[in-house]
Amino acid sequence: MSEGKSFKLFTRPKFDSSTVVVVWNQDVGRLGPKVADYLARKLDGQELGEISPEGFFSLSGITVEDDIAQFPESKFYRCQNEDFVIFRSDIPRFDWYGFINLVLDIAEKYFKVKHIYTVGGMVLPSAHTTPRTLLSVVNSAEMKKILSKYDIVDNMDYETREDQRPTFSSYLLWAAKMRDIPGACLWVPVPFYLMTVEDPQACKKVLEFFNRHLELNINFADIDNEVAEQNKKIAQARSQFPELDGYISKLETNLGLTADEGEKLVKEIDELLRSSH
Amino acid sequence: MGFRLYKEPKLVNPVLVACWPGIGNIGIMAVDMLRRMVAAEELGDIESWDFFYPRRVLIRDGELKDLEFPDNKFYFKKTGKKDLLFFIGEEQPTDGRGVYAEGTKAYRMANLVLDVAMRFGCQRVYTSGAAVAPIHHTTRPRVWVVPNSKDLLDEVKGYENTVLMSEVEGRDGQGNITGLNGLLLGVAKKRGLEAICVMGEIPIYIHGFPIPYPKGSKAVLEVLSAALAVKIPMDEINALIQQSDSEIESVYEKLPSEIKEQLDKLKYVVYAKPSEPGPITEEDKKKILQEIDKLFKKDTGRDQF
Repeated sequence: MSEGKSFKLFTRPKFDSSTVVVVWNQDVGRLGPKVADYLARKLDGQELGEISPEGFFSLSGITVEDDIAQFPESKFYRCQNEDFVIFRSDIPRFDWYGFINLVLDIAEKYFKVKHIYTVGGMVLPSAHTTPRTLLSVVNSAEMKKILSKYDIVDNMDYETREDQRPTFSSYLLWAAKMRDIPGACLWVPVPFYLMTVEDPQACKKVLEFFNRHLELNINFADIDNEVAEQNKKIAQARSQFPELDGYISKLETNLGLTADEGEKLVKEIDELLRSSH
Repeated sequence: MGFRLYKEPKLVNPVLVACWPGIGNIGIMAVDMLRRMVAAEELGDIESWDFFYPRRVLIRDGELKDLEFPDNKFYFKKTGKKDLLFFIGEEQPTDGRGVYAEGTKAYRMANLVLDVAMRFGCQRVYTSGAAVAPIHHTTRPRVWVVPNSKDLLDEVKGYENTVLMSEVEGRDGQGNITGLNGLLLGVAKKRGLEAICVMGEIPIYIHGFPIPYPKGSKAVLEVLSAALAVKIPMDEINALIQQSDSEIESVYEKLPSEIKEQLDKLKYVVYAKPSEPGPITEEDKKKILQEIDKLFKKDTGRDQF
């Protein structure tokens, strides 16, 4: 691996060791990107380098999302806290293994990565009023020991279903394991009707972990306000629309919704929260 | 990245039979059955992680224990005459776009398979796949054969129940074989190896079904077992045919009557001469396939973990 065609570093960082946090732009409830943005903003994150999209993404045109032209981006940011790096990227379309190895090569060679984390949301048929939990999947006993000090559900058993494929985060965690880089995927269940918008509560859950673990001393007043604001809007909508209230109440009492009811709820909440942005 | 061999047996003039999944799983079912029937032993595999997206994650007590990739395995069988080598790939490597192999990854895999075969002295390769044909599911499928050299034409003409591309209606000896079952023929030619692709016919209206078509596989199995001079009991595949016939019939019954009428015409067609119009027009074909698509809708996606 050499700098040039496949990646570029904007500055020459000096690391003795680092924690690298990886987030994917395509995430449930925009959890990963929101965590990355928040940390970069609070910790004065500076662009450190980027991976070139060539060979990993379709460059036959651009996509438009929410009226904005999108172009794949894979960037490293260094936070004020000097041993903390964020990698925020789109999930590549081609050569997944080559991409993952490039990320790990850069993390090892230039950032002397000690631990690697991925952050992601998972869809759950729960209500937004249910407290969020943090779940972890680790790739080593060492990592499991580190995380045992925190309030994390760390004893999951899981196997991929026949008709599905593992997440890209699991792929990265496995590749890190092959290199003996201790790592963990951190997951927060996101209520399904927030998956197309944002879930600041889920975001806060992850941020609280990093805040404690890396001693970042972040004041969460702003994200607390965001949570309160979102809860208020949904509460107002519930009082105005009994049907919507009925759906959420069902979820609050652990009752399932029909596919039609679920779709309606997603649509209503999406419209409510987008229009008020 | 490369291959791993678990053992290095001494093989005599081995013939490689390689296959990847394709339409109706015709080739892969035939080749895998052949491998099991001759009780071939595991020989090695291709390291899959550079070729494929993982297919399964295994998490135990919150720890990622394993990430499984599609298998790409080699097997061998000593026969006393021409020994056999098998390669069976569970998926076709792509550059991320489709189901069928294409691009640099496919080319690299084809070369890796031949690297292993040539290491054991192989000079002949068979691949297998499906030929989508205007036939009815109640008729006996034939096998289209495509060699990678003129020198092999006489030999393949001698295989029972086979046709060359030039004998297929409207093809004039032209055509293409999608994916690695075809690509391997080209790469073998480039490296000086003889190769033959044998493709079992699958009715045009069934190739969109998400179920295997063992009748086509049996036709392939018959050709391969004769070409390789190995005797294969057909009980297992006959049972699969019986089962699939009843599944196909139950779907067939759900088709609109005008579509069934069109399809029933295929029962009485052997093979139209090139000058005669086909029994089903392109417009009919489109309509039939749309109806069949409606019967099978399935989503796959990324996992939670």
